[in-house]
Amino acid sequence: MPETATIVSQDARAAGMASMLTEVPATTSHRSPPAVPTPGDAEAAIARLREMSADVRGCAVLGPDGELLAASGDPQRWQEAAAVLLGAADLAGDAPAELVHVATEDGEVFAVRHAGLAIVVVSERFALASLMAFDMRTVLRDLANDHRQVRSRTWRP
Amino acid sequence: MEKPHRAILDRVAGYADEAAAYLRRRRMSRQPFARLYWPGGRGADFPPDTEAGRTLFLAASRLIDVARER
Repeated sequence: MPETATIVSQDARAAGMASMLTEVPATTSHRSPPAVPTPGDAEAAIARLREMSADVRGCAVLGPDGELLAASGDPQRWQEAAAVLLGAADLAGDAPAELVHVATEDGEVFAVRHAGLAIVVVSERFALASLMAFDMRTVLRDLANDHRQVRSRTWRP
Repeated sequence: MEKPHRAILDRVAGYADEAAAYLRRRRMSRQPFARLYWPGGRGADFPPDTEAGRTLFLAASRLIDVARER
């Protein structure tokens, strides 16, 4: 029985794939830009979180590139401090962490990431972690979803 | 015979006492910690005597200082 030339068949497959890929346009018309809520939306999210949780001392919302969208205090200092925390969390593990929780003698720090956005919260000591994380996720998810809905109605390629 | 509402009040007061004792014990026994959670439910502790833990605690302290400013 004659042996089949495997290399030849793989070459043929590669040639077929190449022809298929050339038919796919480099940019697709349905691609949408990254979801970045407005600072006003982010400020509303912060106000909502502070209303939901009495333990919150301060918080900040960051966009996909780590830029500050809103903060409860000095924006520059919040951005720097939040970036340091998220950077430390990224270095500590092999993948970006979804939830960061650091409890110290002076207070507790939480950070949650969702849909490219991040929210960082400083709370009183002994805040219930599960409730805090739930509230943060809820606010962040609503912020991302609301913005997507608004964008889908208004964005034109 | 004890009035029904008294029994309910006693029971609620008992639960409140239990909860207060739990929170008191939690305050006394809880130590500082740094925890990270990844998608899928995986989590890990980073004690302060490790490099990653020390960095996380320093970053958290900085954030707490920022939140203290008004």
